[in-house]
Amino acid sequence: MSERAETGRIAGSDVVYPTAALCAGVALWWALARLLEIPSFLLPSPATVAARLAGNPELYLANAVSTLEKVVYGGAIGIGAGVALAVFVAYVPWFRRAVYPYLVTVRVLPKLAVAPLLLIYLGTGTATAIVFVALITFFPLVLNAAAGLDRAPAAHRDLLRSVGAGPLERLLYVDVPYAIPDVFAGLKQSVTLAVVGAVVSEWVVADDGLGFLILSGSENVRPDVMLAALVVLLIVGLALYGLVAVAQGYVHDRLGLEALD
Amino acid sequence: MIDLENLTVTFDGFTAVADVDLRIDDGEFVTVVGPSGCGKTTLLRAIGGLQEPTRGTVAVDDRPPSAAQETGDIGFVFQQHTLLPWKSALENVVFLRELADEPPDRAGARALLETMGLEGFEDARPAALSGGMKQRVAIARAIHLGADVLLMDEPFGELDEITRDELGVEIRALWRRERKTVVFVTHSVPEAVFLGDRCVVMCDRPGRIEATFDVDLPSPRDAEALGSRAFQEQVATVRRTLHESYE
Repeated sequence: MSERAETGRIAGSDVVYPTAALCAGVALWWALARLLEIPSFLLPSPATVAARLAGNPELYLANAVSTLEKVVYGGAIGIGAGVALAVFVAYVPWFRRAVYPYLVTVRVLPKLAVAPLLLIYLGTGTATAIVFVALITFFPLVLNAAAGLDRAPAAHRDLLRSVGAGPLERLLYVDVPYAIPDVFAGLKQSVTLAVVGAVVSEWVVADDGLGFLILSGSENVRPDVMLAALVVLLIVGLALYGLVAVAQGYVHDRLGLEALD
Repeated sequence: MIDLENLTVTFDGFTAVADVDLRIDDGEFVTVVGPSGCGKTTLLRAIGGLQEPTRGTVAVDDRPPSAAQETGDIGFVFQQHTLLPWKSALENVVFLRELADEPPDRAGARALLETMGLEGFEDARPAALSGGMKQRVAIARAIHLGADVLLMDEPFGELDEITRDELGVEIRALWRRERKTVVFVTHSVPEAVFLGDRCVVMCDRPGRIEATFDVDLPSPRDAEALGSRAFQEQVATVRRTLHESYE
């Protein structure tokens, strides 16, 4: 118990060093912009970017919400479908044999390459963006969850069978808890990809969102707007990832999952 | 009562158990001993309904094992403790009983853990327990289920010898109190002789019953019996039988 508390606590140096590195990075950025006299239409200083953000927070907030919507809706569909399919893969042997090899091989296909196809089928609306995010989040989830649902030792399944328990009970009482670490590993990949997917889809189809803001900033040669949007995007991505990590910590702690195996 | 008739189990042409006839009365403590691969685990799994017979029949209280499973009358203890890592010792003990839709009895589970020397560890998760304690919880879980038949598949296989002896004495005491029908599989001859009232010796290729011995040792048995001459002689007899079958 005390060991867990120690590893769970964030040590002072875990905060101090990254914060120092961040400050150094921003200082370097500022120094490059100022001392080398790089024109601000090429590299605006941190102060300019901050001023841009502060000057029109509604713009960035509204676009962040729009991107977040694509991430959340698309992510929910992709993750839900991924988990559902993983259960079928884990529990229906013929289905696993038929489908699993393709799930693994399709991983090498860049999902970005599918985006133009979606454009034809679904048009240039938000639906395309959501489906694209769903597609990109689906694969890490289904593969990780399927592997996780396989993780429980065979003897545990025998134990449940020995009292006449069926597949549903096995799923709920043994396989799902054992799968949780893998599902979270998949979620962490998915949530990162979801942000990528949302931004890329906004480049292709949308007329709002942080991706769109970055693209139109590029077209108008406004690196200050682009950098401001990037900063917001970074915050959105970190917040989502952090949310998953906190949920993971909570669930693992509740279930005592450090001790699995 | 457990009744095996002409029990045969084959896997892809390999005969794990061949034509075994065995009858075990209510309240009997039977040990099954033999080398690795002699089919003793397969035999036990067939009794517990985890392995379909290829030929022959298995009856537990005149029913097929699957029916006995449904009513929670089969308590399995495996070589691995099979405790759920996220549940405490107490939750693990009551878990199987709940799954089998038996009325809950947490007080009974607590008392059982206490008699098995686990007082104060009710709320500990398996990771915090030693190997012997985990196996004690697993045994308590099978007993708490209320099963008439306890099937134990080398439950002490991963424990050190001192803990094995200790748990052996406890299992005998528990059996005297609860009067379950116990089938206990092991590859340790002394363990088989010490625990069983009847010791079934199995040999491989194909897996079959070579001999059956009635163990004649005073009951209740304690650690002292392990040093007695009668015990040593019976261990030697069983060993001889095993070795002769390989000549």
